[in-house]
Amino acid sequence: MATYQELRAAAEEAWRAVVQPQRPLIRVASGTCSRAAGGEGTLAALRGELAARGVEADVMEVGCPGLCFADPLLEVQKPGGPRMLYGHLTADKLPRLVEEVLAKGGNAPDLALGVVAEGTVEGIPALDSLEWMQGQERRLLANCGVIDPESIDHYVARGGYEGLAKALQMSDEEVIKEVLDSGLWGRGGAAFPTGRKWDFLRQARGPTKYMVCNADEGDPGSFVNRNLMEGDPHGIVEGMIIGGYATGASYGYIYIRDEYPLAVERMQKALEQAREKGLLGEDILASGFSYDMEVVRGAGSYVCGEETGLIASIEDIRGMPKIRPPYPAQAGVFGKPTNVNNVESYANVPLVLRHGAGWYASVGTENDKGTKMFSLSGHVQRVGVLEVPLGTPMRDLVLGNGGGVPEGRHLKAVQPGGPLSGVIPASDVIVSGDVGIRLEPQPFKDRGMFMGSGGLVVMDDSSCVIDLAIYFEWFAEDESCGRCTTCFAGTRRLLEILRRISNGEGRPEDVEIMNLLADTMRYANCVHGQAAPTVVMATLSFFRDELMEHIEEKRCRAKVCRGLVRYEVASQTDALPAATDICPTAAIVRDNGGYRVEQSLCIRCNACKELAPEAIEVVDAFPA
Amino acid sequence: MGLGARHASRYSPVELLEGDPHLIARIKDLIADLTSDHADLLVAFHRVQAEMGYVPREAVPFLAARFKTTPAMIFGAISFYSEVHTEPPPGTVVEWCSGPACLLKGSMNIRRAIEAVIGCGMNESTPDNAVGLRLVQCDGTCHLAPLVRVEHRYVGPLTVSDAIKLARDLKEGKKA
Repeated sequence: MATYQELRAAAEEAWRAVVQPQRPLIRVASGTCSRAAGGEGTLAALRGELAARGVEADVMEVGCPGLCFADPLLEVQKPGGPRMLYGHLTADKLPRLVEEVLAKGGNAPDLALGVVAEGTVEGIPALDSLEWMQGQERRLLANCGVIDPESIDHYVARGGYEGLAKALQMSDEEVIKEVLDSGLWGRGGAAFPTGRKWDFLRQARGPTKYMVCNADEGDPGSFVNRNLMEGDPHGIVEGMIIGGYATGASYGYIYIRDEYPLAVERMQKALEQAREKGLLGEDILASGFSYDMEVVRGAGSYVCGEETGLIASIEDIRGMPKIRPPYPAQAGVFGKPTNVNNVESYANVPLVLRHGAGWYASVGTENDKGTKMFSLSGHVQRVGVLEVPLGTPMRDLVLGNGGGVPEGRHLKAVQPGGPLSGVIPASDVIVSGDVGIRLEPQPFKDRGMFMGSGGLVVMDDSSCVIDLAIYFEWFAEDESCGRCTTCFAGTRRLLEILRRISNGEGRPEDVEIMNLLADTMRYANCVHGQAAPTVVMATLSFFRDELMEHIEEKRCRAKVCRGLVRYEVASQTDALPAATDICPTAAIVRDNGGYRVEQSLCIRCNACKELAPEAIEVVDAFPA
Repeated sequence: MGLGARHASRYSPVELLEGDPHLIARIKDLIADLTSDHADLLVAFHRVQAEMGYVPREAVPFLAARFKTTPAMIFGAISFYSEVHTEPPPGTVVEWCSGPACLLKGSMNIRRAIEAVIGCGMNESTPDNAVGLRLVQCDGTCHLAPLVRVEHRYVGPLTVSDAIKLARDLKEGKKA
């Protein structure tokens, strides 16, 4: 059995070939986000170009460094030279890149995003000088985009499994104390101290205990866990092994949602490699500690992200949440004591053990230590994944890193961490004379919301709050497991009322009824039902004017609610024939020499207005 | 999505006892090594679906026997998970992302337009099962919002008019 030092030495050997390449090394981002944007085509074109020109180079697939907005991404490092990151590199740009950068020795600065790490190149800024990188503290993301996620050697060479080796020299209580001292709390949304949770399991009796990783990142608009699993899977594996050692668990499950097939593939590969190296299985690193685990792939259910629902799903029954207590630490998977943590929580643990609790707690705020990953999406210039110290103002991410809302628009609200967590109005994000709401749990709790798992969906004034409330309530209704009437019937009733309002059939008493429903739903058994009315309640309080406008004036100021607008031909322009052709329901008709919209056929899909913006006008269906 | 109601008719108890022997042999083969004490039911669903494109009704009694439970429990699980399909997949699947980033950028307009062109609703398919629409959840490719996936290929950011052209091509049998 190899010791950790032996593993490390062998891994460093392999890594040296990567960091000091004798020939050009090309890293191609190949996360789901990069592939979706054409990354596979980029990779194929690169290989083809290299072969066609006889250029000798190594090509390595890496995870996404978080700059999704610039996908497909590709990084070139010539022998002795700095790492140059190129963005928006679709397959058609590859001939030029290979020609200029690899065949002729230039740098193609106009295609480049920045120089990564050390070194300077004329005409290319340092990556760290980009707005996107400001304020970031990339600890969990340190390996994403740098190492091959399918190579355990790369991970080990960069300090991987050192935390585990250290932990195995300590007692279980010492490991838990280290985690407690770091101040790490659960990143999945509940923010419960990880060390305390582990101690519950450590003290639980029974020969069989389980570690479970909640990788069912179901919150729409959150993709931080996916980024981590695809870019640096071993960090999660190592964190879970350490957790198993500290709590006395002998087996682990990583429950990954069905929508993340690449994460499933990479986590499975990571487990196989860890097993081959003796980091999983019997007598890990000759410590006498035995632990193994497997990946469970979900099948499309949001409530399986609730820990008792997730446990039920592992147990081969439908993933319906159960009533707590008993808590998982008492009776979890197959009735055995179990610890459930989020992907990001586990990924932080190896860093705590490797660098110590003091180092870990050196960033963050008084109460909230360490960093947190966030995903930015929606009405924002730059979409992607970033990592900042806890307590960073939300404004910095939205306006700085994200570049704010599109030109000519105004920020309306930010929806943090999933459909159950609430809505933060722009007035709390941009506050004159203050930094506004900070990204840490307390300010969200003070507003009756959650910070959630890391999604930040940005909305500008082209969105309608009723439309959004309908979406979030539809989602809650659709994903309700159906056990509690308060939840399945409550979400249904809220949705019916909201849909009625958006159709111009709102009634003055609706506000009262929605308040009553929301109060009642707090008595649902699990957090899904309890939190399902949060968005509606936030809408009622923050955007009351807009809600009342919908009910009393039957008017949607954003012109989104389908029942409250009409499409009309305002002027006869040359673009109208094209608009007529595109209309999927043939609702634009021509009579007496002019075009008009036949209202009984129009489905208000906006296609005509895209092609004939001057001719088509969206008007209130119920003019004052 | 009211899955229960839609699928209920496909699983009458009498039908469960019958089925194509060849199909049954394949299903039995696929789940032969799975056990009831090892978080294997989802594995079973994935294997059967990877092989056949859906989980046919014939699989239910065998899954029940393998996992030492009742057909009702197995069906309960099948109907619970939105990615377990109980109908043969359409020739071409258009997956429409229901996520918030897509919504903010006009995905509802795209949905209405595609439904109108293809002539079926969400999670339905054309009468000849050539083209079908599926609602999918956000997978974090929001830089492409609003998007659809055609046979797992991402198409986005889409305008409504582009979506209509895409749907018309699919409707006419042209693979986009």
